[in-house]
Amino acid sequence: MRLLVVEDDHTIRNFLTIALTEAGFRVDACAKAGEAEELAVEGVHDAMVIDLTLPDMDGLDLIHRLRAQGVGAPVLILSARRSVDERVLGLERGGDDYLTKPFAVAEVLARLRALLRRSTPNQPEATRLRVADLELDLIRREAHRGGNELQLTQQEFSLLEYLCRNAGRVVTRAMVLDHVWKMRIDPSTNIVDVHIHRLRNKVDRDAQRPLIRTMRGVGYVLKD
Amino acid sequence: MFSRISGSFYRTAAWRLALRSTIVFAASSALVFLLMYGLVARTVRDRSDSWLVGESETLKQVALTTPRDALYGRILGEVAELATQEFAYAGHGDPSATNTVFFFETGESAEPPLWVGPSRNQPILDSIGRLKISQRSPVFMAVEGWRLPFRVVAVDLGPGMGRIYLGLQDSSSRTMLTRLLFWFLLGWICMVAFGFLIAVLGLRSTLKRIDAITGAAASIGTGDLSSRVTSASKPNDEITRLSRTFNTMLDRISASVNQLRTLSDSVAHDMKSPITSVRGDLEAALSTEDQYLSRELMARAIENLDRLSDIVTTSLDVAEAEAGALRLRPEPSDLADLIRRVIDLYAPAFSERRQTLITIADKPVQAMVDQRFIVRLLSNLLENELRYAGEGAQVAICLFEKDGNAQIKVKDDGPGFPPELLDYAFQRFAKGDKSEGHGLGLAFVRAVAFAHGGRASVRNLDPPGGAEIVVELPALERGHEPASPAQSPLANRSHGTSIPADKNDAIVTS
Repeated sequence: MRLLVVEDDHTIRNFLTIALTEAGFRVDACAKAGEAEELAVEGVHDAMVIDLTLPDMDGLDLIHRLRAQGVGAPVLILSARRSVDERVLGLERGGDDYLTKPFAVAEVLARLRALLRRSTPNQPEATRLRVADLELDLIRREAHRGGNELQLTQQEFSLLEYLCRNAGRVVTRAMVLDHVWKMRIDPSTNIVDVHIHRLRNKVDRDAQRPLIRTMRGVGYVLKD
Repeated sequence: MFSRISGSFYRTAAWRLALRSTIVFAASSALVFLLMYGLVARTVRDRSDSWLVGESETLKQVALTTPRDALYGRILGEVAELATQEFAYAGHGDPSATNTVFFFETGESAEPPLWVGPSRNQPILDSIGRLKISQRSPVFMAVEGWRLPFRVVAVDLGPGMGRIYLGLQDSSSRTMLTRLLFWFLLGWICMVAFGFLIAVLGLRSTLKRIDAITGAAASIGTGDLSSRVTSASKPNDEITRLSRTFNTMLDRISASVNQLRTLSDSVAHDMKSPITSVRGDLEAALSTEDQYLSRELMARAIENLDRLSDIVTTSLDVAEAEAGALRLRPEPSDLADLIRRVIDLYAPAFSERRQTLITIADKPVQAMVDQRFIVRLLSNLLENELRYAGEGAQVAICLFEKDGNAQIKVKDDGPGFPPELLDYAFQRFAKGDKSEGHGLGLAFVRAVAFAHGGRASVRNLDPPGGAEIVVELPALERGHEPASPAQSPLANRSHGTSIPADKNDAIVTS
């Protein structure tokens, strides 16, 4: 997987490059929109990370130009702009997801992976999800672990479904709120942890191997 | 008083105002006095004129009816003598005030003219000789050797019969008018001087009070917020009101400055402790050989950094909201539905703390709101309860419509707000001593309510104790309800909103 990182702040560019390379991506990094355009039109990148405040062009304009030239790779916008309206604008102008600074690298990774997964289509809509001995029936909205049915609420099922769809990938608290509850809020209490804790009590209590794990300071991952 | 007035006094507003008002007062009162004097003088002259005309007519009648014989001169002389005595006035010891009357008849050239009056009559006769006068209209006639002019009237006796002159020097009236003028002048001068003095003193004491305000303001400028305008209670006039308003303003400023000081202290404190522990954790992680411990310490450092960044970003959000920089995308929304969604998220956290959460939001209440912000508002309200209502508390969130407003009421039976915090609950960084939050949640609540044209209030329930926060938002009139109320607001969401579509179309396997 090859990524393009466009970010003028060299500290952020450097640690993104290191972290993304560490995570197994090939990374091209540049500081200016002009360079970025030259690199991007080659069409070799699977996803792009673009900062909105670039020295020579507005990041939104860059995305617009790339889209006009047929570059279809998903874009994760990085922004110091906080106004919600600008975030919305970013998505309308061709961005696929956004993060405002300060952000966690884990959040960048998690969102990039979600974007990459989304951009590889051609797979039929799943009706069943399976991770180790956990099985979810999306039609009947039932979950089984090791053959036993789990008594889950609708909400718990949605949460488990989201974790399963991202099995093996870390999801952050913000992503959980965003995708399961459809809310963009930054709770300062541990509400998400409470939900995860309850879910874990039902999913992992009787099992030998716990599936849902907490990644300290980052989020959660469901994996075998 | 005036000895203390220095040169700078002449540059004061009190002096200028007093001078101006006195000049206007002096001019107008002088005009009134002059008018009065003129009126009196006119009346006096009219009186003597009518006497002159009347008397000359009488003398004419006498002259015409008396046969022109040897007794004619004596009879006419007697009558004239009587007439002149009618207006005689001794002057009460003032010789200059003595009235003088003369009678003079020119007859045929053969007869000698008749004269009744002062014996030294040559200057008068000379003046009469030069006089141009028509009948019955009195004129002034200056006479050499006499201080005052005579008022003279002439009557023709008939063709070839000669003419009668009757003259009056009305010294008594003139003296009276002179005295009147003198007293008027004296009174006017006293009035003007007195008025000026009163104006200067009054204005000075008034303006001194303004100087006191200036003084108070000047000492504020040097950083002392405790200074106040004294004597802000005496007469309830404009300046007292100004002083009082000024003092109230200072109270408020000083309160908010104190608030600002404590809040910047507490922000510094809030940030200092995570910074310190981040530093400590990282140092420890760097020096330890234990890899597990090192990871643990770094994870803790990240958590503290998250807390720091939370303070910064939330504070920016609130600042933006308070500055009115939120650009809302309002859409008709059912607040009851939004509340249910947020409650769904928070309910487990409440039961975790053994708090009972009661929701009374059965009836849909439509309002034109930006759902993203209202969701955050509701989440802040609930987080507030989670933090402060206390273990085992009962929390109720109610939604109802009242007077065209949607009211969201959150109350609990917890300890309530610390009394000193009640007035500042919605201010940024306002928080109780024991609070672990950063004091931004309620500030955001109010800012969002304001941005939607609503308001937020807070009070302690006393009794039975506990806190109550009420958020009011303008409700939509009925009839604006969406076509299918059962549909989730998420489904109504227009395209391109902040929440990216989640098309999980890949199969996930282990």
